[in-house]
Amino acid sequence: MTARPIAFFTIDHGTATTAAAIIGQLDGRFRLLAAGAQPAGISADGLLAGLVAEVAAIEPDVLPDPTTWSDWRRLESATHRPPRALVAAASEAGLGAAEAAVAAAGWRVVGRISPERTDALAATERCLDPDVELLVVATADPVPAEERDALADLVALVAAALGRRDDEPTLVLAGGAAGVMQRFPAARVVLGPAPLPHPHAGADPLRDLLVALDQALIAGAGGPAAGFPDGRRALVTATASLAAVLDRRVELVDVGATAGLRVLVGPGGVRGAIVSAEGALTPPDVIEDDRRADGVLQWSTIRADAASMRDRVRNLAIAPWRDAAGDGARLRLAAARAALARLDAAWRLPDDAEDRPASYGTDLLVASGGAFAVAPAPAVALALVDTLRRPGGMTLAHDHARVLAPIGGLADEADRRRLLADLLGDVLAPLGSAIVAAGLHAGRHRGTVRITSEDGADMRIELVPGGVQLVDLPPGVAATAELTTRDGLWLGVRAHHFALPVAGGLGGLVVDTREIPLRLPERPERRRDLLDAWQRPLWAGADT
Amino acid sequence: MPVSAGADAGARVVGAVGPVVEPRVRLRLGAGDVPLVAIGQRVAAGDPVAERRRDGAVAWARLGGSAAPEPGTAVEAGVPVAGRGRRAVRFAGSGRVLYTTPSGLLRVAVGRHAEQVGTPTAGVVESVGPAAIVIRADGIGLPGTLTAGEATVGRLVVAVRRPDDELPVAAVDVGAAGAILVAGARIDVEALTRARAMGVRGVIVGGVVGRDLRSFAASEARQRAALHTSPPFALLVLDGFGKRPIPPGAWAALVAAEGRDVGISADPSFALLDVAAAVAAEPRDRVRVAAGEGLGRIGRLLEVVGRRRLPAGVLGPVARVALEAGGPGQPPEERLVPLADLERTGP
Repeated sequence: MTARPIAFFTIDHGTATTAAAIIGQLDGRFRLLAAGAQPAGISADGLLAGLVAEVAAIEPDVLPDPTTWSDWRRLESATHRPPRALVAAASEAGLGAAEAAVAAAGWRVVGRISPERTDALAATERCLDPDVELLVVATADPVPAEERDALADLVALVAAALGRRDDEPTLVLAGGAAGVMQRFPAARVVLGPAPLPHPHAGADPLRDLLVALDQALIAGAGGPAAGFPDGRRALVTATASLAAVLDRRVELVDVGATAGLRVLVGPGGVRGAIVSAEGALTPPDVIEDDRRADGVLQWSTIRADAASMRDRVRNLAIAPWRDAAGDGARLRLAAARAALARLDAAWRLPDDAEDRPASYGTDLLVASGGAFAVAPAPAVALALVDTLRRPGGMTLAHDHARVLAPIGGLADEADRRRLLADLLGDVLAPLGSAIVAAGLHAGRHRGTVRITSEDGADMRIELVPGGVQLVDLPPGVAATAELTTRDGLWLGVRAHHFALPVAGGLGGLVVDTREIPLRLPERPERRRDLLDAWQRPLWAGADT
Repeated sequence: MPVSAGADAGARVVGAVGPVVEPRVRLRLGAGDVPLVAIGQRVAAGDPVAERRRDGAVAWARLGGSAAPEPGTAVEAGVPVAGRGRRAVRFAGSGRVLYTTPSGLLRVAVGRHAEQVGTPTAGVVESVGPAAIVIRADGIGLPGTLTAGEATVGRLVVAVRRPDDELPVAAVDVGAAGAILVAGARIDVEALTRARAMGVRGVIVGGVVGRDLRSFAASEARQRAALHTSPPFALLVLDGFGKRPIPPGAWAALVAAEGRDVGISADPSFALLDVAAAVAAEPRDRVRVAAGEGLGRIGRLLEVVGRRRLPAGVLGPVARVALEAGGPGQPPEERLVPLADLERTGP
C-alpha cells in the first residue's frame, strides 16, 4: 500500500495582495507545486481551490485527496500597515537621529516636533491627534546642557497634551528624556536608550525596542494580520536561515504596498535590517504631495503628460493590484525602482570589526514583495542593479511565490532550514547574476569580459563604459566571468584582472559599468529615453 | 470542499466597498476649538457641534505665582483664566489653555474669529475629545477615496444623466445653491469654482484630476483665510484619480436619494445618506471594469480562464466577461479582462 502524499499551503497575507502556494513532497523532498496571488480582501479559499484544481488537472498523484484541501495545513504570515508615530526632540539634530530609529523600526513618522521647527499650537495639535499611536521624546544621554531648557518646555507641552487624551498612546522616553518620566502616568511610559548619534541599520537598542512595540501593537490590535507571524519580521528570519543554508552573505529587499524591508545577513548573523514606510511601492503621502509622485515618475519610461502620470501613481497607491499589464506594469516597476532607491537612501551599515569600513557586498540578492510580481525577470534584475548600486558581483533571485515569509514564520530553525534546502530551486526564481564595475575609462583599450561556463561555452565581449550589457547565461548554468582591463576597474578593490563566479538565470548576466550612484539626466525626455534604452532590451514583449 | 476553480468565479474578484451602516464620522477640532455638544446628545444634520477659533495663534502670559489652569480649559476673551484682581491673567482672544512652562509661562491657543462647525449628518454624539468629536450617523455611508474641503450637508441633486458623464461648467447655476451635486465621472476646477461661487454645498464625483484637486485646495485655503468665510463646501471623490465613472452601487444609491438631504464627511470620506433602502443586492457575477481598457463598463463574469499573456508581455489570470453596451461606440461584447482589473458591483 502506498502512503498518501502530503501537501500544505503557504499563504502570505499582504496589505494589497495575498499570495498562496502549494508545497508537496515528491521523492522525499518538498517541492513547490503551484502558486498564485489575488487582491487582499477576498477570501483565500477561491485562490487555494484554484491552485489545487490546477495541480490536480496535471499531476493528481502528487496531492492528497484533492477534495480535502480545506483541511490541509497552512503556513501563514501577514503584514500590516505601519502604525503612526510622532517624534519629538529638544533639538533638530536630536530629532533626526530619533526619527531615523523610529522610521527604520517600521513606524510611519507622521509628525516631528522640535523647538526650531514647531510652535506650541502645532505641536499640541500633533500630540492630540487620535491617529498617533506612539510618541517618542528623545535626547542624548545625558541631556546636553544646551538642550535642558528646551527639553523641560517640550515635556510640559507633551504632558499637557497627553493628559487630555482619553485613549492611551504609548510614550517612549529615550535617552536623557527618561529622567522626566515622573511627569507621565507610569502605565503609559516606556523608557528607552538614546538614539544612535549616527543611525545605521546594524544593532540599535532603541530601534529594537520600537520594533517590539510595533509587534505588541499588532498582536493587540486584532484584524486580519493578527494571529499570524509578522511577514516582514519573518522575512528577516527566513533570510538568516537562507544564509545559513547557503553559507553565503544574503541580502533581501521586499517592496510591499505599505512598507519596504531590507536585510543583509553575513557569517556573523544579521548585519543590518530596516523596515520602512518610505520603502513602500508608493510613498506614504503621494496622494497629497505632487513631489512624491514625481519621485516615482523620474524612473518611468512612459511618455505621457505629467499630470495624468501623477494620477496614475496615485491610483497605484489606492489599488496596487489593478492595471498590472501594459503601461501599468512599466509604471509599477518604476515605482518599485523609486522604492528601492528610498530604501537605499536609508541604508547605512555599522563599521566592521576593528573600525574597518562596512562591507555592503552580498553573494545573493533576493527580491520579494508584490512590486515585482508582474515584470519580466530581466527587467527586475536591472531594477535591482539600477538602485542598489555597489561594485562587485552577485547572484539575483526572486521570491516569486512569496514563500519565504511563511517559512520564516516557523518557530523552529531546523524546520526552516530543511524546507529552504528542499525548496531553494523552486521558490527562488533565478534572475541571473550582475557584475557592477566602476571606473572603466573610455578609449581604445576598454577591456573585455570572458565568460567560461561549466557546459563548455566560452564567450568574450568588449566592455562598454557607462553601459549595461546582457550576456545570455541560462538558468542552472554556473560560469566564471573574467574581467580584464588595461587601466583597471573598481569592484570593491581596484585591479586589472578579476575572476568572479556567476550563475545563469532568466535575465542572464548583467554587466554594468555605469556610475555609482547612477546619475540620470535632469531633463525628463532625456532621462526617459535613457531609462528606456537600458530597459527595453530586457523587457520581452515591451511593445505589445 | 469542491476543487473546481470556476465553481464561484465571483469569489475570485474583489468586491466593491459596500455602504457602511451607521458609520462613525469624526469632526476634527483644533487645539483652541470648543465643543458645543456632549456625549449621547442627538444631533440633526447641520446642527452646530463645535465653535472653531479661526486664525489661531499662541498667546502667553506670566502666571506670577497664580495656580496654573488645567490644559484644555476654555479661555474667554477678557475673562480671567488664572489669578485674581490685579494679578488676574486675561487674554484678548478666546480659545483653550495649552500648557504651562516650567518657568511659569501660561501658553494659550486663541483665535481672533469664531465660527460654528456643523455636523454633516443626523446621529448621536459618541465621543467628545480634545481633537475630535465622533458622531454615530443615522443611515448609511457610501465610502469614498478622499474628501477635499469641509464636512457639509445639502439637498442631493443628480446633475448628470449617466455615471460616466461629466458636468459642464455651464450646467452649474444659481439654482443649485444649497445643493450637493452628483457630477459624474469627473469635474474640472472651473466647474468646481463656479459651483462654490453659486452656493453649492458639495460635489460628488467618480474621479478628479490631481492638478484640479490642488487648485481647488488652494482656493479653499484662501476662502478659509478670508475675513468672512462662506458656508462649508466639500468635494467627495468616490473612486480615484482621473476620469472614473461612479461605481454602479454608489450611483444607484445616490439616484435613489435624490432630493433628500445628504452629507459629506472628510474623516473618513463618506457620502452620508439617511436611508438604507436605496442599496439593492447585486448578483455575485455582476462586475465592472475598474482599471485598464474599458474602464467603467459593466458586465457579467462568465468564467475565470486562467493565466494569459497580457500587454507588455505580462502573464496574469484573466476572466471572460460579457460586457453590456457602454456609451456610444461600445456595443455589448464578450472580452477577456485581467482578473485584477475587475470589481464586483456588490460587496
